[in-house]
Amino acid sequence: MSRGRTISTSRREVVCFAASVAVHLVVLGWGVFTFAIKPRTADSKEAMPVDIISTADFSQLTAGARNAPQLEKAKPLADKVGERKQADDPTAKLAPKEVAAATDVPPPTPAPRPPAPAEKKQSEPKRDLIADAIKKDQVKKAEPKKADAKAPTLPKKQQEQPKFDPRKVEALLDKRTPQRVAAVGDTVNDTVSLGAPSEIAAQLSQSEIDALRARLAQLWNPPAGATNPEELVVQIRMKLKPDGTLAGPPMVLTSGRSPLFVAARDSAVRALFRGQPFDMLRPEHYEQWKDIEITFDPREMIRG
Amino acid sequence: MITRSSISLPSLSRRSLVVLGAGTAAGALTGLLPRTAPAAVKLDVTQGNVQPMPIALPDFTGGGLPDPAMARGVTQIIASNLQRSGLFAPIDQAAYIEKISNIDNVRFPDWRQINAQALVTGSLGRMQDGRIEARFRLWDVFAASYLGGKEYATPPDNWRRVAHLISDAIYERLTGEKGYFDSRVVFIDESGTKERRVKRLALMDQDGANVRYLTRGDDLVLTPRFSPTSQEITYMSYGQGQPRVYLLNIETGQREVVGNFPGMTFAPRFAPDGARVIMSLQQGGNANIFVMDLRSKATTRLTDTAAIDTAPSYSPNGDRICFESDRGGKQQIYVMGANGGPAQRISFGDGSYSTPVWSPRGDYIAFTKQGQGRFAIGIMRPDGAGERILTEGYHNEGPTWSPNGRVVMFFRDPGGNAGPTLHTVDVTGRNEQRVPSPGYASDPAWSPLLK
Repeated sequence: MSRGRTISTSRREVVCFAASVAVHLVVLGWGVFTFAIKPRTADSKEAMPVDIISTADFSQLTAGARNAPQLEKAKPLADKVGERKQADDPTAKLAPKEVAAATDVPPPTPAPRPPAPAEKKQSEPKRDLIADAIKKDQVKKAEPKKADAKAPTLPKKQQEQPKFDPRKVEALLDKRTPQRVAAVGDTVNDTVSLGAPSEIAAQLSQSEIDALRARLAQLWNPPAGATNPEELVVQIRMKLKPDGTLAGPPMVLTSGRSPLFVAARDSAVRALFRGQPFDMLRPEHYEQWKDIEITFDPREMIRG
Repeated sequence: MITRSSISLPSLSRRSLVVLGAGTAAGALTGLLPRTAPAAVKLDVTQGNVQPMPIALPDFTGGGLPDPAMARGVTQIIASNLQRSGLFAPIDQAAYIEKISNIDNVRFPDWRQINAQALVTGSLGRMQDGRIEARFRLWDVFAASYLGGKEYATPPDNWRRVAHLISDAIYERLTGEKGYFDSRVVFIDESGTKERRVKRLALMDQDGANVRYLTRGDDLVLTPRFSPTSQEITYMSYGQGQPRVYLLNIETGQREVVGNFPGMTFAPRFAPDGARVIMSLQQGGNANIFVMDLRSKATTRLTDTAAIDTAPSYSPNGDRICFESDRGGKQQIYVMGANGGPAQRISFGDGSYSTPVWSPRGDYIAFTKQGQGRFAIGIMRPDGAGERILTEGYHNEGPTWSPNGRVVMFFRDPGGNAGPTLHTVDVTGRNEQRVPSPGYASDPAWSPLLK
């Protein structure tokens, strides 16, 4: 490093230099203290909860479940318009002799439906006696059954009447439990669907792998509570037949001798045996999934 | 600094050059040999499903036995042990399809159908010399493979112990951890009314069977401790007012006085070598920790504070101790070298901590924690991290570890007219169970595995 020439300074220059430094410091200090960063207050705009999901989660959401109930395509969740009932053929159900007795019974008071069958049933015993009196050779056992068959058909008969009775509006109301469930909370849709249609590509898709992972996670029961969790990591290679079953015993790639490792290895192998057949893997991608290497790592599960 | 120096190359003759060239060419060609291609798909499974393993336990076959119910009894003890551990779910025998006649012959599809993941077949037989021979085989049903088996010979009276040994072998093979079923528990059996409790020292198998009383109940007895190496226990007895510490040999019944220790509240604990005991001795208003050699009765002081240092416990390798001290104001847990020295506080939660006990596996310290009128049994790592409460309630106290360090036994005193009872919980905090005892019971101490 070359030494520079010493610069001789005059007194005046020193004073000016010092003053300049002082003024700079004052200005900077004032700036620091006045331009302090104010903490940002959150805007009181409406916040919308956003869920960030990984592709694994997305394929799980759209994968659906195989045993989900089959729903028809277009299921209209409309309020009930009106029940269309088949016009019952009352003559088919009633014995010929009893028809005369039934129609003689005065129509029930226009009360809601539940009391109506009760009332009907109450009037039944009377009619039973009448019926017995009319037909003595009729088997008594058949009567209660016929009475039951009569009771539901009779209220229906009442409803077929074209006259609109405002007091019977309640009987027309839809008594089904509401089908529409409000979408609140984290779950958007509680009902398990058969899944959104996914494109069938030539490439083994991430969702197939995720489905395989999900099944293995369901069946894998690793030993819990190890002091040295590294020894619980097991790498296995399995070869599969086109039908998704194991072509042979899985090959364990990691080695270890401790009892904990042996238990961990066995639990992983057991999960593979139990998971057969791996039918979530599409046959057209067989060339890609016929040989799979899986690493079972329980360290995330074991904490503390 | 880089210094330049001339590097001289070895002079190569023509012959060696040819050999060198041929060697590298051959080496390069081997690279072209077909190798096993790596798998096309690789995936990681990092989450599992921790559930009790369904296991099938058909009755042990047995013929010519002195007690015909013994074979079935052995099977039931094994099933009960495995189930109480919380890690296994024995399948109801009514669901079994195959009937085992030969313990080496198994039809795996029958067991797969009932979703058993493991299967135990076994037999009991009588030997020429009158001893019982027990064999068992353990099978992996889904992999259709044999996992292991053993044979035991034992006097007929010992048949329960064989069942516990088989339970331990199955437990170890399937979980990778050592079992704890072949062990005993010494405790204070309490009977009589609340005003006139009779306290006797009692010993039983860890499943509650084979109860034996070791004292008569004339004197008040407290806090028994098991030796890790021999069948000896120490306990405190209030004979004529002053508490004495006794050393009792369970096998011989021989009893000796370790010393008179006025003001002592807990009996001494054994060191891992079984030759020394560590205890807390009171002097004036404070208490300090001492180690005593059992044979020579020589004592060494370890702490010298104006506080109450008590309830010491050794680490399994004997190099450190944990103890309870109120030197910081409230009772807390401290860890110190086994020869004394500076003590480090490891408990920092809300409440006061007491009765620390080091696990035989060395990975946890169990303790009693009091706060807001509630008592909790918890565990923490020896450095104080990972504190976890296993059970909470009114008056839970006195944790003791199973020999494999996976289960903690303690006693719970509900207060009122009812007396205390023994309970176990595993280190994950799950599977709390009541331990059967003849009457009320307190102050349990778990023995090491029997030899």
